[in-house]
Amino acid sequence: MSDQLVQILEGNTFVVSDDRGDIEASRTDPTGLFSFDTRFLSRWVLTVDGQRLTALSTDDMQYFQTRFFLVPGRGTVYVDAKLSVIRQREVADGFREQLRVLNHENLPVDLTIRIEAASDFADLFEVKDALKKKGTYGNELQDGCLVLRYQRETYARETWISSTEPARVDEKGLTFNITVPPHGEWSTELDVVASEGPADGPQAGPENGPENGPIGVRGQGRRRVREDMAHGLQKWLQKVPTLECDWQAVGQIYRRCLTDLAALRFATLTMPGRALPAAGLPWFMTIFGRDSIFTSLQALPFTAELASTTLLALAERQGTRIDDFRDEDPGRILHEVRYGEMTAFEERPHSPYYGNADATPLYVVLLDEYERWTGDTKLVRELEQAARAALNWIDEYADLQGNGYVSYQRRNQKTGLENQCWKDSWDSISYRNGELPGFPRATCELQGYAYDAKVRGARLARQVWQDNAFADRLEKEAADLKRRFNRDFWVEDGEYFAVAIDADGRKVDSLTSNIGHLLWSGIVEQSKARSIARHLLGPQLFSGWGIRTLAEGEARYNPIGYHVGTVWPFDNSFIAWGLRRYGFKDEAACLVAGVMEAAEVFHGRLPEAFGGYQRSTTRYPVQYPTACSPQAWSTGAPLLMLRAGLGLEPQGENLIVDPALPLRFGHLQILDLPGPWKKMDAFGRGRVDTDRLVWRKLGGK
Amino acid sequence: MTADPISQFFADLAAPGHLATFEGHSATLRFDVHDSGQVQHWYVAVSNGDVTVTRQNAVSRQNKAADAVIHVGRPPFEAIVTGRMNAMAGLLRGVLTCEGSMAALVMFQRCLPGPPDSTGRVAPIRSQTVMAQRRPT
Repeated sequence: MSDQLVQILEGNTFVVSDDRGDIEASRTDPTGLFSFDTRFLSRWVLTVDGQRLTALSTDDMQYFQTRFFLVPGRGTVYVDAKLSVIRQREVADGFREQLRVLNHENLPVDLTIRIEAASDFADLFEVKDALKKKGTYGNELQDGCLVLRYQRETYARETWISSTEPARVDEKGLTFNITVPPHGEWSTELDVVASEGPADGPQAGPENGPENGPIGVRGQGRRRVREDMAHGLQKWLQKVPTLECDWQAVGQIYRRCLTDLAALRFATLTMPGRALPAAGLPWFMTIFGRDSIFTSLQALPFTAELASTTLLALAERQGTRIDDFRDEDPGRILHEVRYGEMTAFEERPHSPYYGNADATPLYVVLLDEYERWTGDTKLVRELEQAARAALNWIDEYADLQGNGYVSYQRRNQKTGLENQCWKDSWDSISYRNGELPGFPRATCELQGYAYDAKVRGARLARQVWQDNAFADRLEKEAADLKRRFNRDFWVEDGEYFAVAIDADGRKVDSLTSNIGHLLWSGIVEQSKARSIARHLLGPQLFSGWGIRTLAEGEARYNPIGYHVGTVWPFDNSFIAWGLRRYGFKDEAACLVAGVMEAAEVFHGRLPEAFGGYQRSTTRYPVQYPTACSPQAWSTGAPLLMLRAGLGLEPQGENLIVDPALPLRFGHLQILDLPGPWKKMDAFGRGRVDTDRLVWRKLGGK
Repeated sequence: MTADPISQFFADLAAPGHLATFEGHSATLRFDVHDSGQVQHWYVAVSNGDVTVTRQNAVSRQNKAADAVIHVGRPPFEAIVTGRMNAMAGLLRGVLTCEGSMAALVMFQRCLPGPPDSTGRVAPIRSQTVMAQRRPT
């Protein structure tokens, strides 16, 4: 199998092909042209005179554009190649491919160029789980186009394939019989359009050819002008603050993060022209409540657009009813939206699915943080109902055990999510001895988020919504929650907070990175904070690169276990923010150093997670293999680390800068940070000897 | 007046005159419900939470501008207004199509009921049960 390449654009349309540009997907193999969570091409193979091609090189020009340089034949044959083939592909609502054949000889050459095309119209969920299709296929020729079609009842999806040069079209592809002049060139443009197919039956709307968008958006125009995309990326990069740093890698990491964030921008159907961060490329190019909120928070000092779109898009789809299949309640913020066939037929609950317990309080946290970085009280007023409904959900619907804590337990026992916190794998929440708690589970960070939501909601109520009574109530509830939490979750013999309280009221007593999020939320009583910081930077949790999800020594600890030992850059970035909140500047600097150094190793693009091995053991961070890269909240992690390192904190019309940077940074400056203060610059110099600190904290190891 | 669930739904929607979930939103939607060769229309206007519903059967008024025009067959729409079919899933499935503003439809679906058998409750699961399920692997 050749190397795989990914291209992407316009949110959820993307192509995964090999390095020749060919697609040969099996039912479970995740290559193809995908749009709206559906595979629209599973086969796309180019031959010249019946021969496959060999890649000389590929050029990822932009995140939406790739060029493949090819020669006919295999292996050493290409040394004598008299022909070259260049495919340049750009993703739109489908893709457009320019195919050029160059003749390097003195004589004209006759060639047969063939493109084979097919589609299985698999739902992304089917690709994951290898499920069987229930509809029927039919290919046909229409107006010189090859149309691949799938139909199940009223559900129809089509792929339209056409070329600018005349082709012989059959049901399996396009053939060009061409003559290329001496030292000449032949070219054509191939256009592949993913479409919803014709509407028929009683509900027929207006004419719906391939000129309409793929899903439920008839008459809204389909092609985006490609120049706009390149221009858009340029504009995006020009709008953000400029950064300079003596440690050169920091500048590279910063640019990589911003470019990746641009690629992860996702426009919803209801708000064209606005973007929110999707969760990851390519399989999670959709709205995830949690991921979109965390990424928006990380990016806030640098761009507020992602946050405002996220807030609006999540409010639009906020839960309004009880729906057990979708784990929906009034006020709940969604977990994930999908558009594929299985969602369409309610075989999966993602229309949207609401099974998470953190996005709802985090929604209020983001709204407040957004206001602090922008002064945009207009949006805060506009979203008052949504924020109130979210706050109401915490008390009214999330307290499943009646003990005053946010808990989760899925009501959709078949296709719902078991763990509805960010550590969502099956074994992520365990007792020290490795046993798993029952359900409902009240994980600790959820209580922190709920506390923070109430405190921040109170500020918004007082300052923007002009409702002092509501503010008073929220503050009283927050104070009460903090007092109870510090009593009920505290593990006496370890001096840290339990990761959860189980259905019997027992503490789930393992030591986890979750306690770091508690600092970020501010729910930790001052008297307990030092002990928490000591644990976070202690040898059980801290690897030298960052904080492990689960402490070494716990029964389920595994340095390459998904949520039971690996180090997550996103997790660490929020913990660094939390350490700063409680005044642990040097400790925060250690995390800043670890994650930025890891980012340097990964050329600026941090993976979702890396191994929890002791840094001195492996020297390099060991990447945890994940399907998605870039991942939104990993992309945002260095941005939040810069905030934590510089100690950036908005305070009304002022921006506080209180740097505590690792020595390695030397001089760091970020110019034109936007906010209610208009534009401000932040400067810092690396003064914290994090190498020595880390060495000491890890006991000289 | 009638046992027709669609008429009933729209009557219930209009009755209070105001819905908190629509506050801050304004949009107009026309529902063209196709029923054995005939088309029935309902016209919904939302203005900052205030809701009015009118029937429009007169040909001359059929094309009154709406932000979104929804085409749907009677049986699936009956399922939607009684919570037996999810509107957004129906849209993906093609049983319902939206001309014009998707935002208006996404707003509107907030007032639709959940499935009739959803209770919002489920029995707790013990730690022993979770462990027993996990042990074989």
